[in-house]
Amino acid sequence: MSSEGIILFFLVGLAMVGGGIIISTILAPSSKNAVKEETYECGIPTEGVSWVQFKVGYYLFAILFLIFDVETIFMVPWAVVMKEMGMAAFIEILIFLIIVITGLIYAWKKKALIWD
Amino acid sequence: MDFGQFLYMRHEIILSALALIVLIMEISSDKKSKANIIPVLVALFFINTVAGFLPVETGSLFGGMYKTTALIILMKNILNAGVLIVFIQSAGWLKSNFTGNDNIGGYFFIVISSLIGMDFMISAGNFLMFYIGLELATIPLAALVASEKLKERSAEAGVKLILSAALSSGILLYGLSLLYGTNGSLYFDNIASSFQNNSLQVLAFIFIFTGIAFKISIVPFHLWTADVYEGAPVNITSFLSVISKASAVFILIILLFTVFRGIEGIWNSVLYFTSVLTMTIGNLFAIRQKNIKRFLAFSSIAQAGFIPLGIIGGSALGFSSVVYFVLIYLFSNLGAFGVVAAITNKTGKESIDEYNGLYSTNKGLSLVMMLSLFSLAGIPPVAGFFGKFFLFTSAAKQGYYLLVFIALINATVSLYYYLLVVKAMFINKNDVPIETIKNDGYTKLGLIICTIGIIAIGFAGIIFDYINSLTFGIK
Repeated sequence: MSSEGIILFFLVGLAMVGGGIIISTILAPSSKNAVKEETYECGIPTEGVSWVQFKVGYYLFAILFLIFDVETIFMVPWAVVMKEMGMAAFIEILIFLIIVITGLIYAWKKKALIWD
Repeated sequence: MDFGQFLYMRHEIILSALALIVLIMEISSDKKSKANIIPVLVALFFINTVAGFLPVETGSLFGGMYKTTALIILMKNILNAGVLIVFIQSAGWLKSNFTGNDNIGGYFFIVISSLIGMDFMISAGNFLMFYIGLELATIPLAALVASEKLKERSAEAGVKLILSAALSSGILLYGLSLLYGTNGSLYFDNIASSFQNNSLQVLAFIFIFTGIAFKISIVPFHLWTADVYEGAPVNITSFLSVISKASAVFILIILLFTVFRGIEGIWNSVLYFTSVLTMTIGNLFAIRQKNIKRFLAFSSIAQAGFIPLGIIGGSALGFSSVVYFVLIYLFSNLGAFGVVAAITNKTGKESIDEYNGLYSTNKGLSLVMMLSLFSLAGIPPVAGFFGKFFLFTSAAKQGYYLLVFIALINATVSLYYYLLVVKAMFINKNDVPIETIKNDGYTKLGLIICTIGIIAIGFAGIIFDYINSLTFGIK
């Protein structure tokens, strides 16, 4: 591939994105009304602005939740092959669990789980 | 399955165990016993550093995802030694700044996590492994930089670091995707053997180089450096400027010598221009600095500009001179930052003018600072001279005389501003010099190790011979 190919690559990339936006503004039918301008068109009307400080506890809970979510994903394939691999698989998952649970105890000790 | 082969990755395994030990100690200690974490951790990390030097077989694991060679193990040992010095130096800062219920264990945990990432990055055999290691090494850095929670500048530096790191990771990932698109593989060996030298791959190389250049703060990707270095606590700055930079240099040289061997001509010219730019701009900005941390930041940018001299041409001698230069740079820069940390943590003074007349009150600190700056400048008796000498030799052997000439001019310019600081400490008069600082045992120990390193490495020819024996046969 020569360097013209690179230029073509960028031009096509630009055209794809720019063209998509332009064509959708031309073709798409537009209707404007008060409900359309809302953040969520259905459900409870939103109140206030979203530029406020969120409680950092949300993030801590979300991260802890995510970690144990991913842990489950690891556990499922392990459970499938556990019988064939025997003791080695058991010890390996044990090490993994000890690491994860130490993290949970750490968060617990640091009072990350208290919501006040 | 043979569990003995996991010994290949013993650096990472020991570090992971250490990280767990820190967490458990942090959980189980109460307010009074919290200070005990520091000596225990320093002792454990010392054992880890020594254990790293034990001879062990090398090979690859997980189907080529992970590999070690004697050279990679040496690189990890260099990083380990650097982190050990950083730990020793930061003991005083931890004691004064992390009182009560604060998180001393957390500091050690984050530094060790970052080090594990660097180790995995260096011994990666696949770009996915490399990328995971890179992120594991980078993300904890932002937490470290922002670790002085009550100082706004620290938080600002953390945000700047994470934004620029995210941008550079994005660019690097785009490069990786192009490389995967053209080669159909992410394994270093496969890519190296099927390199077709087409322009899309060159583009991929430039993106990947950009991503790593951000970490080494090579001009024009250096803009975050001074602000982050200034805002971060001094001990973290020394970690950033030495360990983080050294690991990025190591992975850059490994990638250039293995994966991108096929486009040597192109990376030679890229390195040529970035090297000239980095040296010159780093030096010119360093002259203007009034704040000692910003000054050292630009000095470290200028130092990074010398490293491409060894890489350029792609010779085995160049490889070993880069590793040798990084080893010396580690001791010199940690010495300089150790002194700055001792002064800043006790008095809060950061301006170079306030260093006037330092020798009249703090003789030891000024002498260590002088030695470190001499080593950074490359004045003959100390190790820095030999580091630069080998870099220049290897570039000259490849025929890059003009580049060596420019580097020599820059070395002379750098001499001027390093001596300005030395002059401020020894000759300039000051009515109220910084009061005599009583250093605790850790700070003294850290500075003594750096001093020994700066003086001894230059004279111990055996070290360079050893590195040279490891790089033998490259190319």
